[in-house]
Amino acid sequence: MQRDLLEQQLSRKELQDLRNKRTGLLIFQISWIMVFVCLVVVNWQLRFVTTTWPPPGVEKLPWTLPTLATGLLLISAFLARRATQAVKENRNAQFLALWRIAIALGIAFVVLMAFEWVTLPYSQTYSDVFRTMTGFHIVHALAIGAFMINIYQGARAGKYGQTNFWPVEGATSLWYFVVVAWILFYVVLYWI
Amino acid sequence: MASITAPLGQAQTTAPGLKVSDFFRWSVDHKIIGIQYMATAIFFFIVGGALAMLIRWELLTPTLDLMQNGEQYNTLFSIHATVMIFLWIIPMFAGFGNYLVPLMLGAKDMAFPWLNAFAFWLIPPAGILLLLGWFVGPAQAGWTSYPPLSTLYSGDGQTLWAMALHLLGISSILGAINFIVTIKNMRPQGMGYWQMPLFVWAILATSIIVVLATPFLAGALTLLILDRVAGTSFFDPANGGDALLWQNVFWFYSHPAVYIMVLPGMGVISELLSVHSRKPIFGYRAIALSSMAIALVGFTVWAHHMFTSLTPELRIPFMVTSMIIAVPTGIKIFSWLGTLWGGKIRFTSAMLFALGFLSMFVIGGISGVMLGSVPVDIHLHDTYFVVSHLHFVLYGGSVFAIFGGIYHWFPKMFGKKLDERLGKLHFALTYVGFFFTFFPQHIAGMLGMPRRVAVYDPQFQQINVIISIASFVLGIATFVLLYNIVVTLIAGKRVGANPWRALTLEWATSSPPPAYNFIGDPVPFEDPYGYGTEESVAYLDALEKRFPPPVDTSATLTRAPQSGD
Repeated sequence: MQRDLLEQQLSRKELQDLRNKRTGLLIFQISWIMVFVCLVVVNWQLRFVTTTWPPPGVEKLPWTLPTLATGLLLISAFLARRATQAVKENRNAQFLALWRIAIALGIAFVVLMAFEWVTLPYSQTYSDVFRTMTGFHIVHALAIGAFMINIYQGARAGKYGQTNFWPVEGATSLWYFVVVAWILFYVVLYWI
Repeated sequence: MASITAPLGQAQTTAPGLKVSDFFRWSVDHKIIGIQYMATAIFFFIVGGALAMLIRWELLTPTLDLMQNGEQYNTLFSIHATVMIFLWIIPMFAGFGNYLVPLMLGAKDMAFPWLNAFAFWLIPPAGILLLLGWFVGPAQAGWTSYPPLSTLYSGDGQTLWAMALHLLGISSILGAINFIVTIKNMRPQGMGYWQMPLFVWAILATSIIVVLATPFLAGALTLLILDRVAGTSFFDPANGGDALLWQNVFWFYSHPAVYIMVLPGMGVISELLSVHSRKPIFGYRAIALSSMAIALVGFTVWAHHMFTSLTPELRIPFMVTSMIIAVPTGIKIFSWLGTLWGGKIRFTSAMLFALGFLSMFVIGGISGVMLGSVPVDIHLHDTYFVVSHLHFVLYGGSVFAIFGGIYHWFPKMFGKKLDERLGKLHFALTYVGFFFTFFPQHIAGMLGMPRRVAVYDPQFQQINVIISIASFVLGIATFVLLYNIVVTLIAGKRVGANPWRALTLEWATSSPPPAYNFIGDPVPFEDPYGYGTEESVAYLDALEKRFPPPVDTSATLTRAPQSGD
């Protein structure tokens, strides 16, 4: 139904552009997740050069706060998804409400992980690889989070709607990327 | 049925009036960006070539003469290799891809024109950053930059080196995303994947490698920069790190990168051989799919660069996968030979370089299989044999393909044909200079001459003198091409839209094409390589009528006016 509507309201070129953007973003995500996979490989290879992981005398990473942060991030992505559906159906007020909470939860995630990043004591490669992985992830969360805030401001001015939803859809898709990349890191850092 | 009436739309026949300054500006036109890529790459080719000449000058004698110490020499070959790989071959093929892919698909531009321009404009600053390293303690760990050479011994230029490669990697990734989306979404009606020109297939395979492998380079470089400036110890065994970590991650990108450098060249060769021998390509699907197979298997071979540091039980699987790569490559070689068989071969400069590619690349491929074999590799590791192998693949392969491509598509880009006599001179000097530069290096390597040294055993001097003299010939040969390009641009005669009578869509518009390439939607000929049929002749004749060759004004002037004119 959404597709029919679009085909009625958009020109051939606009439809082509939308299709290109969707494919392009997907390929970018497949590509860029490989940097995160690379860091996972780094993490694994560093395990091979010590007898135990964490290395002898080093405490394992605490997992309670990160698990809470992960939960918040998942809820945030779920709300962003609902918000995107709202904007595609022209329910702007609902979009703003959901999007606001999604951003707030994202900020909470970043604050919690930044706290972990700062407070972890130095323990050679064990802390180095943790800080590199989480730091790299936080940079992405911040950049995409800033984009989401930008979209929030645009939406308050009524910029998005039924046929002009791509920035919202793109931001949500990038936010999923942050979630998928984090789940990958979370499992590797805390559970394997 | 070949019909020209509907297909072509009404493209303008007048060439766009571009000025030289247009190529120094931000533009989102894929044709301008393509030429910007190529011009930048050729500039860096000259820089890298000059460094190569200095290397060969130094190696004329077994002692230090041009360089004051070994460290200067280290910098020389490190920057030579980095420039040639990241600023010449990869961007040059990106240039071909940018110029040709939309045209071959009958599209008006790439999927993301702005992103395309952005990807290009990352390259000049990256090149400058790399070369600036010279003034702050240059990189001297080779293009492979193994730690601890790259962490403990190189100057700050190594950090700039890593930052420059970061930019180039991002540029590559953005370019590749653009190619994949363009190829997937913007093919014209009537062109399925199996009707795409093989160059487009090659760019697709290359782009898939770029999007999956280049992020690993980004990861590796990030760790290297952190180790150098942020006090981490990923590559420092004394603090829990692992020197082999770099090699694994780096080669997981850099071996596939070898195919990033050669697959587009193979695409170029497929076009050239078919057009200039007037024969349908032999084994179209086999060539297309073998590109994909190379891309896929290319991800499983990286550790053959580390045979000497790998535990024995890990060597065998990597030896097997490395040898398997020879299969799709062989499929291509035999398909190309099948294309030539019985064809009406025209020995144009483009064709000569394509044939040069075939012969030289096969030598590089065979020495590759030799190096893929563990016992041979243990003996030849880090000798001049490896230098020889990689130059046969990258110069005899990629660069020959680039040269062939320049001669073939120059008329498309500028509406003028490069001088064929100069082209043949360029080919003869390149072919002979290339062969005698790199073939004797096999022998030097087998006799035990190590690579990356400025001071060597005097027993190798004779062979090094031969190599150096040949390399100077090779260096001079490039200036024949540059001279040819300049002279043709200034005073070359205009040719028609399709001087080679080729069937692929890039020729179905004026040369150079107007803004947005085609007016209307062009319909491709049913088989991009269907030469030798009546339909194809009719199609090409109709094309010529639609875009007639320019009137030769000099001939008109010399003809005496006649009554009734």
